Amino acid sequence: MLKDEDMAVADGGSYDYGLFVIGAGSGGVRGSRTSASFGAKVAICELPFHPISSDWQGGHGGTCVIRGCVPKKILVYGTSFPGEFEDSKNFGWDINGDINFNWKKLLENKTQEIVRLNRVYQRILGNSGVTMIEGAGCLVDSHTVEVAKPDGSKQRYTAKHILIATGSRAQRVNIPGKELAITSDEALSLEELPKHAIILGGGYIAVEFASIWKGMGAEVYLFYRKELPLRGFDDEMRAVVASNLQGRGIRLHPGTNLSDLSKTSDGIKVVTDKGEELIADVVLFATGRTPNSQRLNLEAVGVDVDQIGAIKVDEYSCTSVPNIWAVGYVTNRINLTPVALMEATCFSKTVFGGQPTKPDYRDVPCAVFSIPPLSVVGLSEQQALEEAKSDVLVYTSSFNPMKNSISKRQEKTIMKLVVDSETDRVLGASMCGPDAPEINPGWNSPVCC
Amino acid sequence: MATTATLPFSCTSTLQTLTRTFSPRLPLRLHRLHRRRFHHLPSLAALTRLPHPPLLVGRPISASASPNGASSEGEYDYDLFTIGAGSGGVRASRFASTLYGARAAICEMPFATVASDDLGGVGGTCVLRGCVPKKLLVYGSKYSHEFEESHGFGWTYETDPKHDWSTLIANKNTELQRLVGIYKNILNNSGVTLIEGRGKIVDPHTVSVDGKLYTAKNILIAVGGRPSMPNIPGIEHVIDSDAALDLPSKPEKIAIVGGGYIALEFAGIFNGLKSEVHVFIRQKKVLRGFDEEVRDFIAEQMSLRGITFHTEQSPQAISKSNDGLLSLKTNKETIGGFTHVMFATGRRPNTKNLGLEEIGVKMDNNGAIVVDEYSRTSVDSVWAVGDVTDRVNLTPVALMEGGAFAKTVFGGESTKPDYRAVPSAVFSQPPIGQVGLTEEQAIEEYGDVDVYISNFRPLRATLSGLPDRVLMKLIVCASTNKVVGVHMCGDDAPEIIQGIAIAVKAGLTKQDFDATIGIHPTSAEEFVTMRNATRKVRSTTDEVESKDKVVTQN
Repeated sequence: MLKDEDMAVADGGSYDYGLFVIGAGSGGVRGSRTSASFGAKVAICELPFHPISSDWQGGHGGTCVIRGCVPKKILVYGTSFPGEFEDSKNFGWDINGDINFNWKKLLENKTQEIVRLNRVYQRILGNSGVTMIEGAGCLVDSHTVEVAKPDGSKQRYTAKHILIATGSRAQRVNIPGKELAITSDEALSLEELPKHAIILGGGYIAVEFASIWKGMGAEVYLFYRKELPLRGFDDEMRAVVASNLQGRGIRLHPGTNLSDLSKTSDGIKVVTDKGEELIADVVLFATGRTPNSQRLNLEAVGVDVDQIGAIKVDEYSCTSVPNIWAVGYVTNRINLTPVALMEATCFSKTVFGGQPTKPDYRDVPCAVFSIPPLSVVGLSEQQALEEAKSDVLVYTSSFNPMKNSISKRQEKTIMKLVVDSETDRVLGASMCGPDAPEINPGWNSPVCC
Repeated sequence: MATTATLPFSCTSTLQTLTRTFSPRLPLRLHRLHRRRFHHLPSLAALTRLPHPPLLVGRPISASASPNGASSEGEYDYDLFTIGAGSGGVRASRFASTLYGARAAICEMPFATVASDDLGGVGGTCVLRGCVPKKLLVYGSKYSHEFEESHGFGWTYETDPKHDWSTLIANKNTELQRLVGIYKNILNNSGVTLIEGRGKIVDPHTVSVDGKLYTAKNILIAVGGRPSMPNIPGIEHVIDSDAALDLPSKPEKIAIVGGGYIALEFAGIFNGLKSEVHVFIRQKKVLRGFDEEVRDFIAEQMSLRGITFHTEQSPQAISKSNDGLLSLKTNKETIGGFTHVMFATGRRPNTKNLGLEEIGVKMDNNGAIVVDEYSRTSVDSVWAVGDVTDRVNLTPVALMEGGAFAKTVFGGESTKPDYRAVPSAVFSQPPIGQVGLTEEQAIEEYGDVDVYISNFRPLRATLSGLPDRVLMKLIVCASTNKVVGVHMCGDDAPEIIQGIAIAVKAGLTKQDFDATIGIHPTSAEEFVTMRNATRKVRSTTDEVESKDKVVTQN
């Protein structure tokens, strides 16, 4: 899908722009910035800023900065303190009197930070010479984007290339009373901390929020369909995470789904598919996210999507329309910010840099910021046994970290290497324990290379 | 040598199950106790060979110049007698026994928290009065910074948290006792005979332990080092690191003399526990030998936390006044009011009164035993590893030297320890991690060098409001593009640098780093997202080209 005439395009030629980007999240900002650095004339549109996303609200920085990675990490930091206070006792610390947690203060500081980052992103785009347009973009034809602005007006822009980077949105499962449930967007901006929280979901978002609310003093009940959370991760690690969550006081309900939500004077009444009834202040559906492609008019222009709405792209991120491209969560490949950044950089190099570059999806590391956290790279043990051509050696180290020998916290750290016995190559590495996400990146280069 | 080669099965899937069940698991269980105390993965390559008891039929005949390590029964009491049961000694004797079937004995002095001519303890400096207790005290003292950080995250306390020193020390000592017990078990389970007492060499094949004589084909000296202090007036009022780890009460105001890692670590510990801390250094900057930018950065960060540095000052005398407080006189000033004065001014190999001179074991001016690349001394049957040889004085290096020695002498495979790209850390607050060359060393060795720097306020600090910053630095050889040095100062630096050390040792290039996807959000991902060189040093044109200013990412 290499178009000779598209290489090293200096400007749009007869078009308004060489590149028009819809969506200023991780992928969109990276794609526009790097394309501009190759000399392209670039414009990007994005919805007005708001912590809760909707068809009309978003913000520069996208999910990662505003309602994903960054605020999540801030909350994880905030919720880690009580555990640390507890651990400090056997190190000689005495906290006399009450320890008070002011959720509103944390929320305020969190919001301040994401607003600051949102402005930084705008500055970055400005400094890169990218034209920013506020509003909701959709396709008119393969070279025209129409932006519906907040004031109601609409404006059309033509571009030689169009990049769709609209990301994804949290979805609620379709059960009666689903409107009473919140998604992660709302969870990151709750007015009041829940005292009793029910979370439906077994993925990383569900697990992270379980840890966050538990640390802040809530009773947390985690419901998931499988026997263990974090499907797709190494089975041994999944079991360790589950055991740790339980150890920290989270009530796990494996193999259980929710069937009904209803409002009562005491809170939200939840009925499970096993007939159990519970009452909660907050019910969080962390049951998946869908690509944000519904309002783009893709069908009319001929951009193919799959059954969940993800835009179909080739190895170079090109859609079924030769000059329309897509990166990030809207393509539902590997949904991580660093991967969106990679996809966008490769796109820019291919289209404007004269260097056709395919994103490399081998050995992408990732982390789950539960407490304690999990970090993995490469193949899980199950994957290695399936895929490896020769025998597989598994090295595990399960130990009580030194800090716990004094604090007396009963929580082991597990570290694991999966090795091809013939080549001695490390096929995968995983760790569940304090600092795992910081430790693993160092392992990634050697695993990749 | 893969474990699978020794198993009699041929079916792949069966072998996979067995491999998982036997090879890694069983030996790992043997060593789990050991590993729990040491936060490194032990030599995994060695462990794959462990499932079977030593398969050696007859003794290996070494093709190298070194003699066959083992002896026939009856000729000597032991194949190996080790003096000193610290990191190097335990590793060497354990491996010699379990991997290569050597008959091994080891002697060590009775346990005490403060070392002396007659007191030490199984586990050695690392376990008893170094790495382990130090790290526990660092953990204990870090909490005060965390309490401060927590305010920005919404936490408040009715009354300020208070620290009780005696609880920390008591719990630390209980842990040390437990570790001593574990080390004794490790030696026992390895079939190594542990003899309590002070060993002294009588002749090249004989060691005396409190009067009792033992003969051995090979003798290994692994007696480590001890703090050293200058002989100046009032030195008797001064404490060293041994004593600092076991004080009866927390210092109110302490002077720490020294600019190395021990001084900085203790400065951080006492400062974290709310002592008033003054650090006196002879040089202009702390941490001589470290990357210059890191030296500047850590001093600034520690100053921001309340530590006062007195630079270019040499201690001359200490005096005690009637109220019991101490004064420190330097070449520049005299400061009083200290409850404690600590000297962290170096360590000396512990080679006095071991009988070394008498049998002709060569030592250098510092008392370090001179050894060749295989850790052999000037006397054929006498070897030495660890701090006593003053090479790279770190536990993992002593372990490497001990393992290489055992392989050479008893395993029939002459093995030199490999000192390239040895990572290390300073557990100051914030901590430092480093591997490979400093910028200055890289310029000297390679001439043309590209330097990538990231100096930023971490996410945690933007919420806490504290002035914490992180410095991360990659040094790349311009001609080969290999990453030859990595330095970091900031939270989790030691944990992060461990993984990076694998990449540096493997000789990976900047492109390899850049091709690696980061984990978001972390500090570590900075190392794989450094796009533009901060400066390019070109020795040929004798100029430094600065492409970018240092990027501060907030």
